Amino acid sequence: MTRRRGTLGLFFLAAAALAGLAAIGFTPASAAVASAPAARPPANPANPANDKCLVCHASPGQTVTLPSGELLAISVDAGAFDQSVHGREGLVCLDCHPGNGEFPHPAVTAQTRREYVLQRYTACAECHADKYEATLDSVHQRALAGGNLKAAVCTDCHGAHDVTSIADGPRSAIPQTCERCHSAIFNAYRESVHGAALMEESNPDVPTCIDCHGVHDVQGPSTEAFHLFSPTICARCHADPELMARYGLSTAILETYVSDFHGTTVLLFEKLAPDQETNKPVCIDCHSVHDIQRVDDPNSTVIQENLLVTCRRCHPDATANFPAAWLGHYPPDPQHAPLVFYVNVFYWVFIPVVIGGMLVFVVADVIRRILNRRRGASPERSRRARPERPRSVPVGKSKDPP
Amino acid sequence: MSNAPRRYLRFRRPDRAEHIVLLSSFTILAITGLVQKFAEAGLSQAVIAALGGIETTRTIHHFAAVVLMLEAIFHLGTVSYKVFVRRTRLDMLPGLTDARRAWSAFLYNLGLRRHPPQEGRYGFAEKAEYFAVVWGTLLMAVTGFMMWNPISTTRWLPGQIIPAAKAAHGFEAILAVLAILIWHMYHVHVRRFNRSMFTGHLKEDEMIEEHPLELADIKAGLAERPADPKAVARRRRVFIPVYAVVAVLLLAGVYAFVTFEQTAITTLPEPVDVPVFAPLTATPLPTPAPTATRAPTASPVADATESPTTVTITWMLDVAPIIVPQCGTCHTAGGGMAGLDLTSYAGAIQGGTSGSAVVPGDPTASLLVQRQQAGNHPGQLTSEELARVIAWIEAGAPE
Repeated sequence: MTRRRGTLGLFFLAAAALAGLAAIGFTPASAAVASAPAARPPANPANPANDKCLVCHASPGQTVTLPSGELLAISVDAGAFDQSVHGREGLVCLDCHPGNGEFPHPAVTAQTRREYVLQRYTACAECHADKYEATLDSVHQRALAGGNLKAAVCTDCHGAHDVTSIADGPRSAIPQTCERCHSAIFNAYRESVHGAALMEESNPDVPTCIDCHGVHDVQGPSTEAFHLFSPTICARCHADPELMARYGLSTAILETYVSDFHGTTVLLFEKLAPDQETNKPVCIDCHSVHDIQRVDDPNSTVIQENLLVTCRRCHPDATANFPAAWLGHYPPDPQHAPLVFYVNVFYWVFIPVVIGGMLVFVVADVIRRILNRRRGASPERSRRARPERPRSVPVGKSKDPP
Repeated sequence: MSNAPRRYLRFRRPDRAEHIVLLSSFTILAITGLVQKFAEAGLSQAVIAALGGIETTRTIHHFAAVVLMLEAIFHLGTVSYKVFVRRTRLDMLPGLTDARRAWSAFLYNLGLRRHPPQEGRYGFAEKAEYFAVVWGTLLMAVTGFMMWNPISTTRWLPGQIIPAAKAAHGFEAILAVLAILIWHMYHVHVRRFNRSMFTGHLKEDEMIEEHPLELADIKAGLAERPADPKAVARRRRVFIPVYAVVAVLLLAGVYAFVTFEQTAITTLPEPVDVPVFAPLTATPLPTPAPTATRAPTASPVADATESPTTVTITWMLDVAPIIVPQCGTCHTAGGGMAGLDLTSYAGAIQGGTSGSAVVPGDPTASLLVQRQQAGNHPGQLTSEELARVIAWIEAGAPE
């Protein structure tokens, strides 16, 4: 008895475990897009007003010659500063140049113009510590730490005396800022479905650089973690029903991707080994990245005519039928994938019928055995009496021949 | 009843070994397969992580699949041996009779029949399961081949066959696991714990309950067909080479199954080559106005101090190179500090709002000299440079 109950328990445990397989998706991580500036300390009232500095620095075209022979511009366009976000807030020169209150100013120790910028940009951290700390995780800071002095720091993107708020400019100013260093990528982006909509139509829905790469903690695609996480970035917009409805696009892209071989693998790598390399493709590996096109554009890497070429990047032996093994982000339906659809339909009917039939049979058998036992006519006893009958009856004549 | 509890041989050692291999490979396949089918579930991810990641999980799944295929080839051998050599009845094959028995068992359970049906060597529950295992293994092998070798498959079949095979493979797995959990567990473990697949034997009362007709046949001596040893030996001589050929062909098939194609590259695909750092040309910074210099052969400093009469000190050649870079940044053209322009000869002579910077012939009256000698002016000339400027003023400050 106890063993029987124990086995039943095991059985239910297994069934419960199976039933408990609940689906969970990618957990979207928020992209840190530019926010309102952090609370900053008020300008030091002891600092002299800007006109003291502007007596000298207002004159245009003034330079200091650095030991490298480069010229460092020391003129300030007072009008541009007043227009800047800092000027509007009433900041004064010494808030950012605190060491230059005395004259003569401390000697410039920088050998080159770049060195001067790298010495000075940390002044931003005085007020914008959160942004500065975010940059410490960025691909730019990693490059800088690795000795690449060209890597962007605060002022390379925001400017120095003419700092503007991201809210001031058109959205197109964002990719144009990145263009200063990444012009080849910008040129590809400008031709893409996203970039063209932004640059030509000022479309507010399409992503700029920072929507995918982040802002201060900007990430490059060179890390495997970014690669594995990137489908979630695309899904932020492409799984948004309201947004996609405006363009008549399917929102099933992520679930269809994840339910297929490539997406399942990438999901599992992302969940279990986010830093490990896998050659299974993410969105951008097929659709391409900065020059991504509409799927019906003749230049699209995933338009039917070009798909085999795209597949062959990883499946060099693929032939003409092979690309159709991918259902193109359509959940199987009678139009797009009748074979898959009807296999699904068959099992949606077949499994409940077979398993349901088994359950009905088993439950009836259980009830019968309980009833038999309760009536005192235990099946063992009643059956033990019976075998005499077949033994006496010739096998061929039994009701159920073997 | 006989005196001692009798035991009846039900499964020989090779049958039991087959069952162990089958149950191990099935369980491994089910676990490593279902976690892939339900990859988004936390439980699946925990299992995959425990197995060492998705690639390892797939390798284990493939390995277990090969074991199951080998077991199937072995089983084909043992069954054909029993059928062709020993001429055993094909009593594992389900038929209409079994459907009728299942139906009458169901009616008995509902109370519509007085007695349950009586079973022979294999009951309808066992036959149904055997049929399901054979059918399921074949289907899994075919669809598994397609997923394992999608490029070769789509060379002959439409691409859609791959996702269809995947769907069927996954659903069939669910069906198989549920059938095992419900049908097999109930009939073999819950209803009565039937150990014969491990011990090989059933006791008499178990035989009476589950296989009364077989028991009757055994007792009547009808269970096994009489075999002529000579005929068996003759058939075996034919069977062994035939099966050996078949087995070799099937093993070659399994080998082909596993090595049929290299589906994808094992490295990363060639990256699209876009220069990441491609800076725009920066707006040029101001460059200093060109200033004339003496020919390199001349030595103006020496000339100026030692023989002032022979070489004239001029603004253009001697003073401007000192004054313009040093003072011109503040005292710029057109509104320099204190209204003074020290970037040009005219500006220097004209002076600023405070007075004349340069009074030709009179250094002491020149404000430029006064300020410089007082010291602490933002742009401070060296004493040598100042001496030179004084000499120039004394000489009448020529242009």
